[in-house]
Amino acid sequence: MILQVLAQIPTDGVTAPLVEESTSRLVTPRIPWSYLTPQLILFLGAVIGVALVALLPKRLPKYLSALATVVLAAGTLVSIVPLWGRVGNAREGAISAWSGAIGVDRFGLFVTALICLAVLVTALFADSYLRREGLDGPEFYLLLMTAAFGASIMAISNDLIVLFVGVEILSISSYVLTAMHARRVTSQEAGLKYLVLGGFASAVLLYGLALIYGATGSTNLLQIQVFLSERVLTSDGLLLGGLGLMMAGFGFKVGAAPFHMWTPDVYQGAPTPVSGFMASAVKTAAFAGMIRVFVVGFGSAAELWRPIVFVMAVLSLLVGSIVSVVQSNVKRMLAYSSIAHAGFILLGVHSATERGTSAALFYLASYTAMALGSFGIVALAARRGEHLQKLSDLRGFATAHPGLALAFALLLFAQSGVPLTGGFIAKLGVIGAAVDQGDWALAVVAMITAVISTFMYLRIIVSMFFVGGGDHGEEPAGFEGPPVNVSWTSMVGLGIVVVATLFLGILPGTVKHWSNQAVVEMVRDSGR
Amino acid sequence: MGQYLPILALGILATLFALISLIASRLLNPGRPNDAKNAPYECGIVDQVAPPERFPVRFYLVAMIFIVFDIEIIFLYPFTAVYRELGSFGLVSVIEFAVAVFASFLYVVANGALDWGPLKQVRRSGMMVTPSRTSTSTIRRVGQEGREVHVGDEGVAA
Repeated sequence: MILQVLAQIPTDGVTAPLVEESTSRLVTPRIPWSYLTPQLILFLGAVIGVALVALLPKRLPKYLSALATVVLAAGTLVSIVPLWGRVGNAREGAISAWSGAIGVDRFGLFVTALICLAVLVTALFADSYLRREGLDGPEFYLLLMTAAFGASIMAISNDLIVLFVGVEILSISSYVLTAMHARRVTSQEAGLKYLVLGGFASAVLLYGLALIYGATGSTNLLQIQVFLSERVLTSDGLLLGGLGLMMAGFGFKVGAAPFHMWTPDVYQGAPTPVSGFMASAVKTAAFAGMIRVFVVGFGSAAELWRPIVFVMAVLSLLVGSIVSVVQSNVKRMLAYSSIAHAGFILLGVHSATERGTSAALFYLASYTAMALGSFGIVALAARRGEHLQKLSDLRGFATAHPGLALAFALLLFAQSGVPLTGGFIAKLGVIGAAVDQGDWALAVVAMITAVISTFMYLRIIVSMFFVGGGDHGEEPAGFEGPPVNVSWTSMVGLGIVVVATLFLGILPGTVKHWSNQAVVEMVRDSGR
Repeated sequence: MGQYLPILALGILATLFALISLIASRLLNPGRPNDAKNAPYECGIVDQVAPPERFPVRFYLVAMIFIVFDIEIIFLYPFTAVYRELGSFGLVSVIEFAVAVFASFLYVVANGALDWGPLKQVRRSGMMVTPSRTSTSTIRRVGQEGREVHVGDEGVAA
């Protein structure tokens, strides 16, 4: 039956025929390089970086790699600004290139900008972290660049194969980054765990992709969209199987329950700046891919996949908030809270509207800032060897380091959704998008779990600020262990995320406006 | 769907055969086990010493270099067959690919993947020297057993 439907695929439209009759020369796609500047900067930065590391003498100044990464990430951000105008105006508009394999639109640019910000702040935190742990070297930063390159490919992919290549570039870089702390067994273990489970998830994603190709006759999202809107499938088993498997693959990559099992272990074991990078950039890219594929590509089949997202969102919210409360390790707490945040963002995906997409993007923007900052502070507070990451190790942190504790408290309050912070506006956005579609149940679950996870954030804050003698009248314990050294680069990174969190909360208008404009536009490849 | 019926029938037969064999052997065997019978089947003479477990990590590096060039050949060979038809697009794509591959090769060689001399300690750190292996060296540090194993580096709790 599917074969009969396939036979009706129009051969005119979407792509040009592969071989022209008159000559033997193949019709090759033209590539608008200028639209790919952000990706090119990241890619060439990584490749040239690898070559330079090989050719230059080993004794280079230690700050050079971090500096180069910050400069390249900032350069990528700057290169997005003119593109934002170009793909937004009516005359030029969004483009599709490489035979429709990639689509440059404001959605992709917004996500790429978030990823670059994550790279920039991660590099700032990583500089002093890596030196403290005796791991300094250019490899960390090179992997950060390749991960960002893969992530930005995911953000602009218009084809499931290109999306998968992006996922793999990002994933393989993050596996290595996770295992980067060569002297901690937990880091090695987390890297191996992430590699095995991540490879499995990639295989599931690929299998779903193959089934979707079988069901719709194309891997191109635009062609899939056209195919699904033009006909009614008499048998949709193959499509359902493909959608389910792809959703499982994406669910793993974003760390949503019930595919979240790896998240706490990997976030705990990974070098802490890498945990922050995974919570921000990797999550952002995976959600970007999810939105491109499901909300846009399978937009007309939304009723097929929305129930899956519903279950994933409810489970993520419940698991993330409830299990985080009973954790004793701060990194694990933040990992579970990132599962809960994934649940909130799934609210925006579930609504399957432009409002939901823009709310999800705003949420990702504010969570990027909050996650990077929180993990950055934990990296500092855990001190050399990352031995002190228990909740009890933070006791008295506020008296020893009032500034850091205040910033941490602010970021945690923002994550719980206190007004005047980015987290509040973000939560308001996704819950509003859900209510807009009449999903009251989902909105109620989200609000209840927000209250539950607030308890967990308060546990961390209480342990930092209130040095009590305990319940049984013990001696109040002060801040123990070696002093926390805060380098000026970490201060700059922390400053960026704190200012961003407050800015998103007090004056959300600008970013809200950008996220509203950042819609996915799928256009045909005009060969421009 | 009728054409798939033989496959279904074959699948059912195979399952039945496996199940019946298992059940039959359970029912019919006399049931007098000894150590030799319980041991997994192994050809040849039983090992007297444990097989060597470690070998230099260098073999992995050589294998990785091989894979780098293997992948390059996989792409270059079909390209040479159609490079005229592909025109400048194909040339640019292959150059991009080759540059990326070559850069990684440069990196691997510069980090000593092809140095077959005595082991070179790339980076030494004073922290957390344990008698066990680390991932930067396969040399076991002797004389340090039981000393200075860092506490607090507990395994990842499940």
